[in-house]
Amino acid sequence: MSAFERALLVAAREIAAERRHPDGLVAALTFTALLVFLESLVLGPGRAREPASASALFWIALLFAATLIANRTFDRELEDDAIDALLVIGGGRDALYAGATLAVGLVLAIVAIVGGALSIVLLDLSVSLAGHLALVVALGLLALPTVIVLATLLALRVRARVALVPILSFPILMPQLLASTQGAAAALSGDPNAALGWSGILAAFALVYGVLGLTIVPAAIE
Amino acid sequence: MRRVPQIASLHDATVVLDDRAVLHEVTLELGPGLTLVRGINGAGKTTLLRALAGLTPLARGTRDVATAPLFLGHRPMLLRGLTARENLTFLATFRGQVSPDVPAALRVWGLGPVMDRPVERLSAGQRRRASLARTDTEQVPLVLLDEPFAELDPDAVIRLRAAINSALARGQAVLMATHMHHELDEFASCSYVIDEGRLKPL
Repeated sequence: MSAFERALLVAAREIAAERRHPDGLVAALTFTALLVFLESLVLGPGRAREPASASALFWIALLFAATLIANRTFDRELEDDAIDALLVIGGGRDALYAGATLAVGLVLAIVAIVGGALSIVLLDLSVSLAGHLALVVALGLLALPTVIVLATLLALRVRARVALVPILSFPILMPQLLASTQGAAAALSGDPNAALGWSGILAAFALVYGVLGLTIVPAAIE
Repeated sequence: MRRVPQIASLHDATVVLDDRAVLHEVTLELGPGLTLVRGINGAGKTTLLRALAGLTPLARGTRDVATAPLFLGHRPMLLRGLTARENLTFLATFRGQVSPDVPAALRVWGLGPVMDRPVERLSAGQRRRASLARTDTEQVPLVLLDEPFAELDPDAVIRLRAAINSALARGQAVLMATHMHHELDEFASCSYVIDEGRLKPL
């Protein structure tokens, strides 16, 4: 079995567990929906509709949603020491990182679709370049879990993991968050070149952090 | 105490947890057969097994295990949200076992009617049985069992003894940590006692 097949197997397992008990998804959806709703109330309809504000809050919501989903995923792994069964087997650590990243990314995609639809409806957003926006969101969703899952795994056995993961990951994610926000804002306001440029940067982030995670994780998980 | 062929070994292994050495310069070589490790609570039995499984890093010494062992710890090590069948199928597939008959293994352990129930809805004893059924679905050279009789009813104890005998008949090495079940001594090729992290032949 190849490393990729193992990662897919782990991702399928995580998705199956999340499907039966969608705690992470429900928490992330609730949080994202509330944030979009509050955004329209606090900023007022005029400012909330601005591409920069709308996309910034959208990505901030996804950032916290990714943290919630990743934490729930690994809470489940730690219950009954389920994670140890995987770590004992050769290739288990790489597969756990890659599989969990894929699974968190997939659950996050659901949150992004619902959060995006809510933003468009509640804030009455006009999307100038839907295809470019989809590309930016897809690449942003690839890049985000690579760092969040890595930070969650590094802080796996730490009691204050819930607090530590944002502290570890958010500074690293700042450039990425900026690229996602700028890219989405460019797609909303109809600037295709800027949207594609930021998409390229996001693709590079996904690649670099994915490779970094696969390099660090085997030695770092305890 | 050396046996051939060797399946796994620890040489001068020291494990330090929370600035305290919980395993001191342990040397252990395992070949096919049953090896028992006895010791009181906190003596270092679990740490020894986790060190052999590669779950606890060694501060000093070396670990040599050719194939990833099957380690069954205190807890069932099954993912909540999945059924017993899904858990065992996943683990056997991940390990590359060819067509493991998971339903048959679970039925042998008396879990036929509940194998498609999420594991969090099983009793502690049923979860333990499901976990031990992995000895049938993941047949690897080294099996590490940490207090495997805990939470088992008399029927499951009989079933576990049969599973251990099957593993021994297949030529597997079984290392069991327990402070009970002295009747197993007669089947053991080797017995050790561990005291304050120091391993001595019994």
